Amino acid sequence: MNIELTSVTRSFGKNKAVDGVSLEAGPGVLGLLGPNGAGKTSLLRVLATVLPPSSGQIRLLERDPGRTADRREIRRRLGYLPQNLGYYPAFTVVEFIEYFALLKEVPSARVPRAVAAAVERVDLGAKAKSRLRTLSGGMLRRVGIAQAIVNDPDLLLLDEPTAGLDPEQRVGFRALLRSLGETSTVVVSTHLVEDVGAACSEVTLMDTGHIVFRGTPDELVARGEGHGIGDAPLERGYSAVLQAARAAAHGDGVAA
Amino acid sequence: MNDDHDGGIDLGRVWTGIAAEVWRRRPGPVERLAARLLRSPGLARALLTTPSLLLPWLISTVVIFGIGGLINLAGGEPLVWLLAPGIAAIGIAYAYGPGIDPAWELASSMPISERMVLLVRAVAVFAVNAGLGLVVSGITYWATADGLHGAGGHATAAAAAAVTFAWLIPMTAVCALTLAVAVVTRSASAAALTGVLVWGATVLATRASAGVFTAAVTNTATYLPYLAVAACATAVIGYATRISRRTQ
Repeated sequence: MNIELTSVTRSFGKNKAVDGVSLEAGPGVLGLLGPNGAGKTSLLRVLATVLPPSSGQIRLLERDPGRTADRREIRRRLGYLPQNLGYYPAFTVVEFIEYFALLKEVPSARVPRAVAAAVERVDLGAKAKSRLRTLSGGMLRRVGIAQAIVNDPDLLLLDEPTAGLDPEQRVGFRALLRSLGETSTVVVSTHLVEDVGAACSEVTLMDTGHIVFRGTPDELVARGEGHGIGDAPLERGYSAVLQAARAAAHGDGVAA
Repeated sequence: MNDDHDGGIDLGRVWTGIAAEVWRRRPGPVERLAARLLRSPGLARALLTTPSLLLPWLISTVVIFGIGGLINLAGGEPLVWLLAPGIAAIGIAYAYGPGIDPAWELASSMPISERMVLLVRAVAVFAVNAGLGLVVSGITYWATADGLHGAGGHATAAAAAAVTFAWLIPMTAVCALTLAVAVVTRSASAAALTGVLVWGATVLATRASAGVFTAAVTNTATYLPYLAVAACATAVIGYATRISRRTQ
């Protein structure tokens, strides 16, 4: 298993952003769905080793991120796209991706080819030498994805990767996700349920820091049968699960 | 040949190889030297992306040291010793942190230790100031009456080195304090302001107590407190950058 979480909690003051989450995942694409404030971003940051958990056990890539040597090895094999991608405006696309390839300790001799391959995979070849300050929001997102995959990660964490991408780019990106998921564990946090349906082999739905559903997209669709809210089958499943979870949390006794 | 693909040529692979050569960035001599010294191309690149090591900061540092040197030559007061810690503090404040480095969160998920990046950047800023200060101190000391007429070449060089060493101690304290404020408050401006204000207050206080304008750097009684401040600030930095207190 590339991800093993046991009762992981992350608190900010009195607020529990992640509350007792247990999760296991191997290779494949795992969609992380949930409303704003559900805890998706905090969970991804914990998985990215940027944020330590307040309690619980974590093993990533069969290592303990709490130990310095293990954490370093995990980070070498990790790709992470944060929700807000910070960037150096004066860097070119290639310079930016190369910078993170070097920080990920990709061997120097392999860096140029790894950078070129990452640029090509996100279809930014025509902009390779452009300064980041000249790029659109969608292009910057693709630059962020390229830096995340430049080291061929075994664990890829993407927070809202399709934000700002146009429909054609999203279709291409979903194909890229499926291809990456053949060998790696890819966790994609998104608001867009259609991305989950098209690219993910599994779905995890979070609400108020808890996991309230784990299954395949088809199983989520099945949860929505007969449910009135939502235009698409997946949206109906999403709404039905959330409604049931909230009812259960309020003591109505409805199982999520 | 590796490019054979189902009996043909894998054009994608060929193109990636060409693109890699066309797009390849050739590191400059400074980066190559840093990579060799630090034994890490990534750390060398992180060093060269230090936000405060930009040309405007370097130019302003050279200008201020130059003006300080000229003032010394004119009046004999070694003002450059007093300027150096404040300038270094500003450079340190803008060298590191979530509010300064735009890709800070991303960099926090990298195998190269955040503390190592912080360390090499701080050392670089410090080295620029220390090196420049040493040059200006040496020149002004040599050019003033004591240096030109009162001492020989070796004695002058030794005196300049002694003065610079004395001046490095308060600079260390001010820089460590500034860095501690920067990592705790996550505000480079607050840190720079604190560093400059504390140093200004120290200069004025030591002047009032000793009656000498440059007492903040020349009074040996102040060295121990400076070192104590530096040690405390370093402990705060270590605490604030430990893994469990990182980004929230």
